[in-house]
Amino acid sequence: MTSSDEASEPLVHIKNFKMDFGDKTVIRDLSFDVRAGETFGFLGSNGSGKTTTLRALLGIHRPTGGVLHIGGRNFEPRDGSRLGYLPEERGLYKKEKVLDVMVYFGRLKGLAKTHARAWSLNYLERVGLTDKAAVRLDKLSSGQQQKIQLGVTIMNNPELLILDEPTKGFDPVNRRLLMDIIEENKEAGATVIMVTHQMEEVERLCDRVILLKDGVSRAYGTVEEVQEQFGGTTYRVAYKGTLPRSRLYDLIHEGNGHAELSPRPGADEATVLEELVRAGVAVRSFTTARVSLDEIFVQVYGEQHEIAEV
Amino acid sequence: MARRTFGQHNLGTVIGFEFTRTIKRRGFVIATLAIPVIIGIVFLLIYVSNSTSAANANAQRNASIRFTYTDASGIIPDQMAALIGGSKAQDPQAALNNVKEGRSEAYFAYPANPAKEPVKVYGIDKGIFENGKYEAVAKQLLERAAQARIDAPQLAAAMSGGVKFESEAFKDGRVSGGIGSVIPPLLFLVIFYISIILLSGQMLNSTLEEKENRVTEMILTTLNPTTLIVGKIVSLFLVGLVQMAVFLTPFALGYAFFRDRVALPNVDFSSLTFDAGRMVVGGLLLLGGFTLFTGTLVAIGAIMPTAKEAGTVFGPLMALIFIPFYAVSLIISDPSALIVQVFTYFPLSAPVTAMLRNGFGTLNPVEAVIVIAELFITGALVLRLAVHFFRYGSIEYGRKLSIAGTFRRRESAGR
Repeated sequence: MTSSDEASEPLVHIKNFKMDFGDKTVIRDLSFDVRAGETFGFLGSNGSGKTTTLRALLGIHRPTGGVLHIGGRNFEPRDGSRLGYLPEERGLYKKEKVLDVMVYFGRLKGLAKTHARAWSLNYLERVGLTDKAAVRLDKLSSGQQQKIQLGVTIMNNPELLILDEPTKGFDPVNRRLLMDIIEENKEAGATVIMVTHQMEEVERLCDRVILLKDGVSRAYGTVEEVQEQFGGTTYRVAYKGTLPRSRLYDLIHEGNGHAELSPRPGADEATVLEELVRAGVAVRSFTTARVSLDEIFVQVYGEQHEIAEV
Repeated sequence: MARRTFGQHNLGTVIGFEFTRTIKRRGFVIATLAIPVIIGIVFLLIYVSNSTSAANANAQRNASIRFTYTDASGIIPDQMAALIGGSKAQDPQAALNNVKEGRSEAYFAYPANPAKEPVKVYGIDKGIFENGKYEAVAKQLLERAAQARIDAPQLAAAMSGGVKFESEAFKDGRVSGGIGSVIPPLLFLVIFYISIILLSGQMLNSTLEEKENRVTEMILTTLNPTTLIVGKIVSLFLVGLVQMAVFLTPFALGYAFFRDRVALPNVDFSSLTFDAGRMVVGGLLLLGGFTLFTGTLVAIGAIMPTAKEAGTVFGPLMALIFIPFYAVSLIISDPSALIVQVFTYFPLSAPVTAMLRNGFGTLNPVEAVIVIAELFITGALVLRLAVHFFRYGSIEYGRKLSIAGTFRRRESAGR
């Protein structure tokens, strides 16, 4: 793994990644890069291959084909002292005491015992679990265990932080705490790869994203680029009357006097509004908006849900 | 920052963590301490019983019984019988009736030829242990009478079996150690059995724990799986040493301070012969066998999703270390027999068979080298397989691993 100041080379490089499990192909052909210092959103519906990709990247799964590099080479466990990985399948040694487990993982990640202990106690104080240091993990609530696991993930100040559905199981208060911690790591120069279904978090935190569907990338780039790719700007209209068919826009949806229009090339706010007025529509409000990632997600994955329902 | 260099050696950390958490576990402490406590209680009961028995024996020795006897052989001198409370009866049936009706304590009927016919002993019932004194007195009287007739202490001793024998056997021109040379190398077999019996369950569960706790991914991205598994094996071995030390403590204390009272045999260690070659072979067979069985158990743990399912494979595997005992007489007397050769070279039965043969001196150096090499090589291969299965199998949370599947996926071009 290279240091974060070597920004010219991507920290994570995945090229022509293919993954089969028996006869089933999970990833067909996936390529993307994650640059050092950026926060990268890894998006996709359940079963689209996100976790499989992360596991292959970290050497847990053997890929069927392709290149998966971190810092220019395959990941090895000895690089773990620079990695923070919060897996989707959460778990620690449940019958051990909180502090013992944290110190153990700290030592495995290269920290001295005293340092690991001091860091752990500070962290427990921050997340309100000071009194749980000597308590067995299985005596904690699910949310408290999540906090401990997050602490274990970040205790080595990782250069690369990989979080697979980090907010799963967190209440809104703890979700905010988690986001604060992610932002702190980001500000400290960490590269963050985040798998999540919380699209507002992606829009707020991520520099770039990739959307995975059926084992291939459906969209890849900055959040703005992806929004542009899936319709870019839309017009939200409140009206009375009947919306006419037009060559200037596509109707995304309408109902109860509200509609969302997607302008076609060459059309702008003025021409669309003029078209509506000319058609006798009583326009109450007319606002410009970007297509949200949430809508893009529904647009991309809704198709397969509809097919599944049929 | 207090951070170590890359390629850090985490083996010590793993051993420390695994060892500490095992011996601190309440269940382990209770189970381990229960054995010496039970042994201590048994010793205490034996101590108390032996004290009572000794007092009873003294009382019996000093007590005398009144008895009548008839002597068709003519061996028993009347005066000798009278000295220990006997009086000669004229009518056997009347003497027997007197006993039955409680008028006489005992009646002994010595036949015409005691070498061919039994001496019949009748007495009033005084309980299982007390009743034994009738026969003891009858026997004592007959022996004393015989000795008096022979009138030669040496012949009397030879007749009564009170003669010591000292044997020496020679091998390669030197005195062979006999049973004293068999015991030391067989101690490795005892250690092997104890360690497998005590630790096999923990070995099986050691990697299942990562799987059942969903901690595999955290571990595999932090630690080389070989380091984890070797660390677990070493820590289990240390745990086994602690258990053995705890178990042996009451024996050591009992032997040192209460040997006579708790009926421990008075072992003469000077009679033991330590043959350097056989001891080295025994030690290597122990290490090789331990490695092979540990690797096998860890591999089973990595393949199976739960401890319950792993248990179905565990039983037959354990049977393999006991199977050689079905052929133990052949192993000792006819090492060239086909079944012995099969047991000697089949990896999972090899440790026990080879250690037995080594103990009894029937494992020649060539065979020893072959078996030791086989155990270490297969042990290393099985350990590698165990690491492989853990590496690619423990991520199969809740599912049984497809062994072929772990080998089918080819390495990518970039790897």
